[in-house]
Amino acid sequence: MKIRRTDPHTLLGAHALDALTGTERARFDRHLGVCESCRQEARGLQEATARLAAPAVTRPPDLLRERVLAAAARTRQLPPLTRVTSAWPGRRWGMAIACGLFAVALAFGGIAIDRQHDLSQEQAHTRAIAAVLNAPDATIMTAQAITGGKATVVMSHRDHALVFTAARLPALPSSRRYELWLMGARGAQPEGMLPTAHQGMTAPVVVNGLAAGDQVGLTVEPAGGAKHPTSRPILLLPLPF
Amino acid sequence: MRDSESWSSPDDRPDGRRADQPAAQGQQPGPGGDLGALLARVARGDLAAFEAVYNGVVGQVFGLVRSVLRDPAQAEEVAQEVLLEVWRTASRFDSSRGSGTAWVMTLAHRRAVDRVRSRQASAERELRASSPDISYDVVAETVEARLDAERVRKCLGALTDLQRESITLAYFGGYTYREVAGLLEVAVGTVKTRMRDGLIRLRDCLGVDW
Repeated sequence: MKIRRTDPHTLLGAHALDALTGTERARFDRHLGVCESCRQEARGLQEATARLAAPAVTRPPDLLRERVLAAAARTRQLPPLTRVTSAWPGRRWGMAIACGLFAVALAFGGIAIDRQHDLSQEQAHTRAIAAVLNAPDATIMTAQAITGGKATVVMSHRDHALVFTAARLPALPSSRRYELWLMGARGAQPEGMLPTAHQGMTAPVVVNGLAAGDQVGLTVEPAGGAKHPTSRPILLLPLPF
Repeated sequence: MRDSESWSSPDDRPDGRRADQPAAQGQQPGPGGDLGALLARVARGDLAAFEAVYNGVVGQVFGLVRSVLRDPAQAEEVAQEVLLEVWRTASRFDSSRGSGTAWVMTLAHRRAVDRVRSRQASAERELRASSPDISYDVVAETVEARLDAERVRKCLGALTDLQRESITLAYFGGYTYREVAGLLEVAVGTVKTRMRDGLIRLRDCLGVDW
């Protein structure tokens, strides 16, 4: 008997109802990023789901109103996300450069990936990168590492995902490697070791499941990787949520 | 008992505050109406617009969160978080990706579900009855809201039992589709399919714009 992969489309209903676990949701959101027809269906189901609460309408406690309005008056609002598709040409160029950069990094990184992984895995990786770079809300950010070198991050708020690549980080002894982290309310989650740089540039790494308040961190760790950061981050980039 | 008091019109509010708030009045969208334009103003820091949004959604937000969480005190806390989140993140609402109501209700549902699942290990979860509480002591404030509620009940009634139970256990019970399958003692694949085709039927029955 053949084991087939589940068709992600069957999860459209469960997704609209928030009946997926966190990892399933992140994986499904990633799929939505590359599937226009799914996005359309998801939108219709989401609208239908939102109406379900109509028969549950309940009068809230009287004090809620005052509390909410008072809290709003003293709460700073988030700025809008700057869109790559905005009319500001500088952004577009920035993005074009970033895409070029990732393409180069991918080409270099590809050599290394090829030896270690099978082709389908590599293709999935490339697709995941393309999904983030092509997301309508993709935002590009850069950050300097305190030890020298620079990271470029493209983040999609919608997909809760980002692509990370670094250039000109100092070379490390063979016993050490750079490790990527998501640091936030849940503590520091390891997001994998940065691939070894080729000509100063590391192949892109995709990070999924971003949550509000997360920061991307980079530390120097033993070559085998660590479960928790053992040194102070050389780079910390707060993510706009 | 307080929950079953009814407001027959906005002017009947016991605190009588509505009349002092002309900025918010007249802009209050019906529960099914869209909030998009108001949310754009909220994103620019307009508190009066936020109050109008509050008026438009609070009954649904609180009702939904309470259905999922059961505990009124926790529901109040989560409803407050949700509404403040609407204020804080209004700039992230994108009308090209869905209606304002869907955006707010998605926020509300996700937060309620996150709260339920974060206490999942506790015995409390085990004690929750397996069938969700949607026999609401409901108070539809306006005729429009009452009609909306009636329409949803009618459309839910037109689903098969398995479709309806899968949808309501997930939505009002906060269960994952695997948990729903366990509760209903049917295959996981069946539940996924019933959730999807049930929602499609619901969408078409409600005549949802999308």
